Formats: sequence, C-alpha cells, structure tokens
Amino acid sequence: MSTPVIILIVLAIVLILMYNSLIAKKNQVENIFSSVDTLLKKRYDLIPNLVASVSKYMKHEKSILEDITKLRSEANKSNLSDKEKIDLDKKMSSALGSIMIAVENYPQLKANENVLHLQHSLNEVEAQISAARRAYNQAVTDYNNAIEQIPTNFMANMMRYMRKDVFEISEDERKNVNVKELFNQ
Amino acid sequence: MKSISELTDFYYKTFYPVLQTLEEGGIYKYLIKDYTFQFKNAIIEPLIQEIDKNLSYIPNSHVAQKNFTRAKIFITKPDRFRGNDYIRGKIDGITIELSDLHAEKKHKDSKGRTNWSTIFQGLFIICEFNKHFKSNTVILPDSVQNTFGSFIGNWLQSNNISRSELVKMDNPEFEREFVVYSDDQIEARYILTHTLMHKLLHFKKKSQHPLYISFLGGKIYMAIKYNKDLFEPSIFHSLLKYKIAMEYIQTLHLTLGIVQELQLNQKLWSKR
Repeated sequence: MSTPVIILIVLAIVLILMYNSLIAKKNQVENIFSSVDTLLKKRYDLIPNLVASVSKYMKHEKSILEDITKLRSEANKSNLSDKEKIDLDKKMSSALGSIMIAVENYPQLKANENVLHLQHSLNEVEAQISAARRAYNQAVTDYNNAIEQIPTNFMANMMRYMRKDVFEISEDERKNVNVKELFNQ
Repeated sequence: MKSISELTDFYYKTFYPVLQTLEEGGIYKYLIKDYTFQFKNAIIEPLIQEIDKNLSYIPNSHVAQKNFTRAKIFITKPDRFRGNDYIRGKIDGITIELSDLHAEKKHKDSKGRTNWSTIFQGLFIICEFNKHFKSNTVILPDSVQNTFGSFIGNWLQSNNISRSELVKMDNPEFEREFVVYSDDQIEARYILTHTLMHKLLHFKKKSQHPLYISFLGGKIYMAIKYNKDLFEPSIFHSLLKYKIAMEYIQTLHLTLGIVQELQLNQKLWSKR
C-alpha cells in the first residue's frame, strides 16, 4: 500500500473516533439530564400535598406558597428548554428551603405526622436531585471541554455543537454540615 | 463507644497484671502453642467487649469468601483464602462484621514450582449502609493518576475494561487519592456526598494504609491493606510496652469506630 493511502486511512480513523466521542459526550449529557428531569418531576409531585398540609397553619408565608404553586405549574409546561428547567429548579429549591425553615416556627406542623413524612421524602428527593445535578455538571464539563479543546473543537464547530450550562451548586450545598457552627449562630 | 484514653486506662488497669503473668514464662512460652490462644482470650476479647458489649469475637473464624468476592474490590479470584479474629455484632444498632483476611493467588513457574502471591492482606469490614441503592460502586486507591498525571491517568482509568464506568468526582482531593467506578453515575454521587468524601479522606489519613471500598446491596465493604496479620502476639515485643499496646487499641478503635466516623447510624427516612 502506498504511503498516501495509509495516511488517508489513519486520518479517517482519527476523524471517526473524534466524531464518535463527541456524539457519546452529547448523549451522556442528554441521558443524565433525563434522569435529572425525572427526579425534578418526583419533587414537583410532592408539592401539592405539601402546600395543602401546611397552608392551613402558615399565615405569614402565603406569598412563598403561592410562588411554589406558580413555579410548579410553570414546570409542568411541556415546551421548556433545558436552560429554563435549570432556572426553575434553582428557584424551586430556594422557595422550598424557606418553607422548610418556616415549618420550624409552627409547633403544630412540626408535630404533624404527614408534614414530617413529606419533609423526609423531600429531603431524600433533594439528595437524589443533588447527586443527579453533580452527575449532569460532570457530563456537561466533559462535553464543554471536548468542544473547546484541540482537536475536537474543529469538528464540534462543524457539527454546530454549542456550550451547555451547568447547574449552579449553591455554597450551602457544597459545605460540609458543621453542627457546631449551627449552634453558634 | 469508648474513647482511646478510656481504653488505654482499661488496658493498664485490667490487663497489666494478666499480661505480667502471661509473659512471666520468658521466651519459652512462645514455643507453647497455647500462647496465642491465651493471649487472644485474655486480651483481645475483653478489649473488644470493653469497646462495645454487643460485639462478639471468634478468634479462629473470618469473613466468608463469598462476601469478599461479591464486593468486587479485588477481581482476581483467590486460590487460598485464610483469616482470623472475626468480630461481629451491632454498634449503635448498625450491623458490622470484620476480620483479618489473607487472599492469595497460586502461580506455577516453568519448573513446576508453586508460588503464592498476595491479592489482599489486612482488615476486611462489612457494614450496613444508611442509604438505599441498586448499583455497585467501587472506590480504589488512585495509583495510575499519581504515576502518569491526570490527563493520561484519566484516559487509562476510563478505558479500564475490567471495571465499570469511571466516575469523576467533584472533590479534587478525593480525586487525587481515589478512583471511583460505578454502573450508575447518579447513584454513585448519591452515595458519595461531599460530606462522605470528606469523611473517607479523613479516615484514610487516620489509618495511613491503602483503603478499598465497595458499595453493594445496601452495604459498605471496606478493605484496609496492612500486609500483615493483625492482633497477633509478637515474639519480639512485649505487650507491656506502651507503643505496642497503643497500636492494638488504636487499630481496634479505628475499625470499630467506622460506624460513628461515617455516621452510618444516621438513617434516612426510607431506611427506618
């Protein structure tokens, strides 16, 4: 075989490998995002029940509860982009967080079996969502690296691949829980 | 669980006289077969009981081979499997079992002679885990990335065919020390929260020995490589010496303290 043919074959193999690795990275992002989506739905499903159980007692938090209901109905729309879902999740997490803190001010709620159960279910879904977010961020980072680094960036350009957004992980989530600090507050 | 200083107190108050009589026989006593047995009965067992009353100790038993294989930490199938100092019971309501293990592989050289190579020697711990999960996640010491740097190391690790998918963790220190493989990217992170990664790093620093971990079927399997048989009386060192005594106490305290160290007793709602 002549040299130019060998060079061509090697080049073709390299191009195929690059192409496949880009496709694999894009699919990994989509695949993990669909898991994030499932978990977010699982959390949204808990919300009507939560709102119904706490709204009777909570008088000062009416506006947060309304926000939560509004966010949920927004999230149920079918034509949301990934970015919109990420934004909604961020708002939802902070709204739910403030409700959970507010529950502490109502002794009747703290003793309510149903609320307690909801609180624990939410905590668990929250832990799963947090794991899924981290997995998604890693997949997106790999993908973003691939479309910006040489040599795959040329091919990504041709394939019109764009950078994707990561979930912002709040500082509180990153921190290790320090009980001592909680008492000092 | 008692603290190290309480245990040290106990050791000197309760054991010192026993040890003195045990060691009185001079060097000859080591030639008597019963010495190890006596030592374990008189020293190790009460020490374990002192740490927690709900623990039982069987000197001549060990963690079952099927548990060792099931954990998938070491892929090579052992041809010889031995162990001793089996401890099992409950700490803070969490089931735990551990023992010394020595797993070996048989080799035949060209002249037909048999050689044995060690797959693993050290402590093997099985403990109930506080979260539900369906996948298998394995954490191994990161030797490749340390040797080849992160770029080539990462590439080699992600192409390791004998393991499942590589999971890159978002804690740089943890990434430097360990490599994680799992068949579920999300569940691996559900198990390995930032807090748990931090605690495992801390545990690794305290034990100062290579640490291998596997999460499977609601349990955590840990292998700590000591490359020696632990909890055996030594012929050359007297147990009356502070340093030796402390080593026994510390090793026991460290391994049995794993439940509290990793807060495995804080169960999630669904596991209550």
